[in-house]
Amino acid sequence: MKRMNDIACVFRIQLAGMRREAGPFLLAALVFPSAMYLFANAVGGADVGENRIRFLAGSIIFSLSLTSISWLGYLMLENRFTGRLKLFATLPLAPSSYVFGVLVFALAQAALGTTALLLVGRALGVNVHPNFALLIVVVFLTILCLCGIGVVVAARARSFSEGSLLTDTLGAGLIFLAPVYYAPEMMPQALRVFAKLLPTAFAARAVQTTLAGGHEIGIELLALCLTAAATLALGFKLMRWRED
Amino acid sequence: MTATTESLLQTLAEPAPATRRMGKPDDDAPLAVRVRDLVKRYRDGTEANRGIDLDVRRGEVVSILGPNGAGKTTFLRQLTTELLPTSGTVSIFDVDAIAEPERAKRAMGITPQEAGVFERLTVREHFELFARFRNLSKREARDAAREVIAELGLVPETEKLVGALSGGQRRRILIGLALLGRPPLLVLDEPTTGLDPSSRRTVWGVIRRAVTNGATVILSTHYMEEAERLSDRIGVIAAGRLIAIGTLDELLSRLERSYRLSYRDPLGDSCVCYYSSFVEAQRQIARDRLSEYSIARASLEDVYFALTGEQFDKDETGETA
Repeated sequence: MKRMNDIACVFRIQLAGMRREAGPFLLAALVFPSAMYLFANAVGGADVGENRIRFLAGSIIFSLSLTSISWLGYLMLENRFTGRLKLFATLPLAPSSYVFGVLVFALAQAALGTTALLLVGRALGVNVHPNFALLIVVVFLTILCLCGIGVVVAARARSFSEGSLLTDTLGAGLIFLAPVYYAPEMMPQALRVFAKLLPTAFAARAVQTTLAGGHEIGIELLALCLTAAATLALGFKLMRWRED
Repeated sequence: MTATTESLLQTLAEPAPATRRMGKPDDDAPLAVRVRDLVKRYRDGTEANRGIDLDVRRGEVVSILGPNGAGKTTFLRQLTTELLPTSGTVSIFDVDAIAEPERAKRAMGITPQEAGVFERLTVREHFELFARFRNLSKREARDAAREVIAELGLVPETEKLVGALSGGQRRRILIGLALLGRPPLLVLDEPTTGLDPSSRRTVWGVIRRAVTNGATVILSTHYMEEAERLSDRIGVIAAGRLIAIGTLDELLSRLERSYRLSYRDPLGDSCVCYYSSFVEAQRQIARDRLSEYSIARASLEDVYFALTGEQFDKDETGETA
């Protein structure tokens, strides 16, 4: 009960802080991925229905990546390097409760961003037949996975500038290095195997399949589960209140 | 020497009426804090704390003084579980703070020397949200926030964003956060540093009220007056060791020469000499035909100087710092 209350409090603190920054949030989580969708349509050809679904799936993953690695990572870095984390450390609060609170905040943002992008897709005439329950599971696992990366960076960065550079690079890099907006065959041969193993690649395939009404995403879900478990376990291990 | 000067000197020679607080806690009161042989050695070999022992009884106020870099903050950070000791034990209300930091922190309200605040939250939101971590219900959190805001003189700022507040007001917020839920132990690391004299006195009042309500307080400070006014006992840390601890009188009694003569020499330089009696100091004045001088009973500052070899500077407000 205490843990649930603590997680809710961390979430509310982040939410209360973000209320006054709705503009940049929308820019990061919605406008930019929407623009990327339009850009990909223009460059890749929107005449093929499969492409349009791929671009929409890519934009959803891009939005999740920005939300969880770039934005959330930045938030946690800011908390750490401005001394706010110390404020939490003075409380009878487990570090994992702090991370979970921030994670719930990311999930709320992800729900908002994904819903908005689906609406944008529908408004632009993308023909999707998503299984919403499966889509929620995929988005949930993707967020866990990417947040884990954000937590690791935020906990290990030696300075604010180093950390924000890393979160920005990973937030965008994991999208453009993985076959998210294009087919894996379009990548250089040497990069294909590496790119296919990136969590964003699994997430994009899962979202794309789900948006097209498919269900065959067992491998993708397993990969996302394993990556989420690994990155979060590492993140929890590194996020400590107590210094040695 | 005129009669007026004589009378002034007599007045100075009287011990300063200490503005003592609510009375010393019982010697047999149970322990709130028990620290044994606390050592902190960093990887580069620096020993920040070298075997500190300290017992603090419930309801007691203990101030920790010491030069910069002496190990005060390191000590308090180990006490508050923020820093893992190399060896030694820390017990907070019989809870092993090293093994169970979260449980130990339930009994502590902590103001770190430096911490950030959430600039995009209002003052009220800060207190209400952080009070909830202390297991207070929404209503209790609201009441606790209102109470602390009033105590710290932050009522006009209640609905302001913290980002719009001054450094001193932010410092008061950090102190207020430690008070939420009335924890039985307050650990305050230089709580009034950076505050103007009026705010400093407000904070002293808040600490006194907390003690009246049963709290135990451990604080570090650079202000002699703060230590004298608030503390039951004063400890001095130097080079990582707790080199002295006792009541103000006990510390003063350590000085063999407890009369301080301050004067200007013929070249205009300020000088200080210590004597074992008032008469002895007067003899010196007559012998050197001093015209600009004062004699006073030795103070905590003199004890501090004798123990650490360091003078306290004067801060920007003119108070001893």
